Amino acid sequence: MSPGQSILVVHPDKKTQRVCQRILGVTGFPVDVADDLAGGLARIEVRKPILIVVDGASVLSPAADAFFAATRGVEACMTLLEVTSAGQVPKILGTGAVTNLLVHPMPVLAEELTVTAQKLIRRDLFGADKYLLWGTELHEVTIVRGGQRGELIGRVAEHVKAIGQSPRVAQAAMLVTDELVSNAVHNAPVDGSGDHYRKDLPRDVELLLDEAHQVRVRWGCDARYLAIEVRDKFGSLDRDTILRSLGRTGVRETGGGAGMGVALTYRSCDHLVFNLAPGRQTEVVALIDVRASAADRGPASSYNVFVERA
Amino acid sequence: MTEQLGRLTLEQRNDGFVLAGAIDETSQLDVVLAKAKAGTLVLDLAGITFINSLGVRDWIRMLSAATKANIKVELRRVSEPIVHQLNMIVATRGTATVASFYAPYACDSCGREDSLLIDAIRNQVQLERLQAPPMACPECKSNMAFNDFPERYFSFLART
Repeated sequence: MSPGQSILVVHPDKKTQRVCQRILGVTGFPVDVADDLAGGLARIEVRKPILIVVDGASVLSPAADAFFAATRGVEACMTLLEVTSAGQVPKILGTGAVTNLLVHPMPVLAEELTVTAQKLIRRDLFGADKYLLWGTELHEVTIVRGGQRGELIGRVAEHVKAIGQSPRVAQAAMLVTDELVSNAVHNAPVDGSGDHYRKDLPRDVELLLDEAHQVRVRWGCDARYLAIEVRDKFGSLDRDTILRSLGRTGVRETGGGAGMGVALTYRSCDHLVFNLAPGRQTEVVALIDVRASAADRGPASSYNVFVERA
Repeated sequence: MTEQLGRLTLEQRNDGFVLAGAIDETSQLDVVLAKAKAGTLVLDLAGITFINSLGVRDWIRMLSAATKANIKVELRRVSEPIVHQLNMIVATRGTATVASFYAPYACDSCGREDSLLIDAIRNQVQLERLQAPPMACPECKSNMAFNDFPERYFSFLART
């Protein structure tokens, strides 16, 4: 821990402030609190936080632009949004400024906040295992040809059903796996000039993948979440593209990816995590809550965009 | 006779066609549309288990072509994966009408979860009020509860 570093909580509700303080206090960092964005800005000027946790409702206030401009240099700014305010998610996505959104019931669950804080503090971003309970087995497949995608989603669905999960979970797992693998095989490869040279290749034509183009897929379930992790070796996906894609509601008439893969994945899971190492690797982890029935699930999903710092 | 269209199968039955399997980049939905007779195409979608973003794109193209050709598309027994897409992406609805669809129900008594068929025409008034029709559990005969948010799951029935 560097001297002067802290975690900042900006929230008008005293109870939420206290809950966040207790959860984040376990990191060993001092936790500062502010009631509003103006108070938060004043705190940022005093000491640079490693993590800011801010009330989602305030994201749409007039003071938000200045606040998010000031937080650009912060490792992560995590936005909390109560389930009852989930209708605001499209507007929040529309701002293009919120890199981490946690849609949560009250009180705030400790797990997501703790994992986010620890990933940033330890500078250790990658791996679905961080979101699963100890001992959870992760199954692994390396995609060595494009046509393997169809076989893989069948295998994932069979496995999900075999471990007793509902058809809803199996359907979500199939869609998430398909979209993430499709993105990793066809959209991730990029050349020196930034050209995504495989994005418009027909997806139904077989494509052999050399080592640089191979994609690693892992999945596992700890009876809370089914996690599906897909990692490519290009690291070409960037923060702004992700934030634009999450809020998409339209479909391109042309092109290979249809432009909807990320948006469909986000809406089909409960928590979507992007771990980015620019120019080196991209990892996407989709978490599907297997405990909740559809009616108990939140009406909107959480997401994180983590970028590895040099 | 069953036709194989990639990972999708097409079979004529009664006054319509039964689609089953996956709608993705291998599906030839133009072949499906070409089956329309006298300006009508009736599709039974109960067997669709999966549709990805490329399948969504081709589905939208098919409905768009149907509208241009004045073909009325009627969807029957629409499976849950298709309903999710109809709810997420407005363009997937096109000008098609939905006669019936599957919806998730759960039984509080025995814990069974099931996908049950709702007649969209017979229950139209109730569905417009975002109320799920009552259903009995196939296992213990208790009343089942609708197992999703009605505002979310029935939104595809609203005409825009």
